[in-house]
Amino acid sequence: MKTVAAIAPVLALAAALTVAAPAAPAFAADLTVAFPSAAPQGQIMVAVFNSEANYGGVGQPAQVAMLDAAAGQTSVTFDGLPDGDYAVRAFHDLNGDGKMNTNPFGMPVEPFAFSNNAVGNMGPASWERAKFTAAGATTQSIDLK
Amino acid sequence: MTPSRRSFLMGAAALSAAVATPEMVRAAAALDAVAATKADWALATQDVEGDIARQTMRLVHGRAPAGLQGALYRNGPAKFRRPGGSATHWFDGDGMMRAFRIQDGQATLEARFADTPKRRTETELGAVVTPGFGTKGDDRARIGSNDDANAANTAVMVAGDQVWALWEAGSPLALSASDLSTRNFVTLRDDLKGMPFQAHPRYAPDGSIWNVGSAGDQAVIWHLRADRSLSDAQVVPLPRASYMHDFTATARHVILVLQPWVFATHAMPVTAGLTWRPEMGTQVLVLDKDDLSKRRLYELPGFFHFHLGDAWAERDGTIRFDVAASGDPRFAVDGARVLVDGHGVVPGDPAKLALITLRPDGRADMTYSDVVGEFPKADPRRAGLKRSLTAHTSGETRGRPLPTGLAVHDWDSGRSHAFEFGVHQVVEEAVFVPKPGATAERDAWLVGPSVNLKDGRTELHVFDVARIEDGPVATWQADVALPAGFHGVWAG
Repeated sequence: MKTVAAIAPVLALAAALTVAAPAAPAFAADLTVAFPSAAPQGQIMVAVFNSEANYGGVGQPAQVAMLDAAAGQTSVTFDGLPDGDYAVRAFHDLNGDGKMNTNPFGMPVEPFAFSNNAVGNMGPASWERAKFTAAGATTQSIDLK
Repeated sequence: MTPSRRSFLMGAAALSAAVATPEMVRAAAALDAVAATKADWALATQDVEGDIARQTMRLVHGRAPAGLQGALYRNGPAKFRRPGGSATHWFDGDGMMRAFRIQDGQATLEARFADTPKRRTETELGAVVTPGFGTKGDDRARIGSNDDANAANTAVMVAGDQVWALWEAGSPLALSASDLSTRNFVTLRDDLKGMPFQAHPRYAPDGSIWNVGSAGDQAVIWHLRADRSLSDAQVVPLPRASYMHDFTATARHVILVLQPWVFATHAMPVTAGLTWRPEMGTQVLVLDKDDLSKRRLYELPGFFHFHLGDAWAERDGTIRFDVAASGDPRFAVDGARVLVDGHGVVPGDPAKLALITLRPDGRADMTYSDVVGEFPKADPRRAGLKRSLTAHTSGETRGRPLPTGLAVHDWDSGRSHAFEFGVHQVVEEAVFVPKPGATAERDAWLVGPSVNLKDGRTELHVFDVARIEDGPVATWQADVALPAGFHGVWAG
């Protein structure tokens, strides 16, 4: 079906998540990203972006983390981010193989989500839908689906 | 006031605080004129605003046959129009599951919307925004996966204490069989999440179930055990990227009918990407159930279809099945828009029944009957096996949509028996229900609803397959009219 074909390139997330976190400069915002409904299984890959271009795949994430969901770790706090607009991409690597697995027609079969629990339109959620302002203590609670 | 007029006025109000201009008055009057010319059948695509609690239906004709106990689950679209934008195609309304339950001579009706992500998003926005089969949608759509666009509106299968609402391009949606409340999308195996599971599963003589899901020039072939768990799923290549709503099967074969309505471009809605190429002919791909890599390809002149009948193989290897065939896809593109408009002329001719024969020497032929028919159904005791009878809706005429009667066609004798209600009834698909303890093909009832346009009520009818022309043996009437649905299944 066209629907399937058109939304096949939903995410190129795994690649973005393999980048090591740069040293975080000490600034004002402490961003907590939580996945309260995540199953205790595998690992959750989190990438935080600080610009539309980087979020769109041009540059690198500002922060990344890998949560040990199997051990019950379902949230992470990124301390000292510069105040500003951010967006988060995340996926739940249920089988811990380091990849976002897809079905035979190329659709993701492992849960993924974006900040604001934003949903895209036959693709990843846009920066416009996923962006939020981090200032001081900021929490994004995300349901991986 | 019609939704279109309401949105016109809302839009006009947003543009200007001025009083009504002559142009506005003329435009509104034109829309009112359209509303006033709604067709007599428009009730068949009306919106339902909320769930319908279980109600007792009133017996208005005949009496309930002894031994008929069970439930007819039926699915179909029941909400097309929202103030901020509407579905423009019959196939894109929100799915509403109906349960007609017959017990101890009494009938009840209840209906509940499938609680899909699409319906949640569109309820919140007050607008239909999701692209579909023929509805364009807009940039407010929220589609992270194909099931976010799943209307769960096409058909239904029973699965233990659940019924699965089926669509064409996504997962089954499990509902409670007892109260039709929505549970979850069904993932048959973790690595197959979201794979399309089409709306016409075929039940095999061994109790297992076969189904397909297509994506361009490949298809997944599903094989489920009788308990609805997954036995196997394999992806097979197809010789063309054809629009496929149905497939069929014998006891030993899966049969894909690849019509010359082919995907030419990536576009939404689905119909926008399809091109009608009758000169390509129709291809019939036959796969061996025991080894899906064993395949034969047959060629037929091009025709359009949605629905196939159950197939069977004869001793010498000849395969036969029936089809509701028409000359082109104009109904699928334009006719289904007329239905949601609630007025207008449906282009093209109604589908006719035809019998397709695939011979062991590789030849194929197709014999048209003179019988106008759609929604073919057959004896479930003979699914995949030799049979004579096809039950179907009838009475559709050129220009006017929707059937007005029920009929049974006998492929062996060439004879048809029909009952015509008249144009005050929109007749829906009827399912074949074997009589308890009986084995003959005619020892069965047909059970199906209609929309009584004159009374403004949904009715449920039972026919005796052996005496279809005598009309219903029992008719119950609800105190509501639900729009016409698509496909159902009997749970005895």
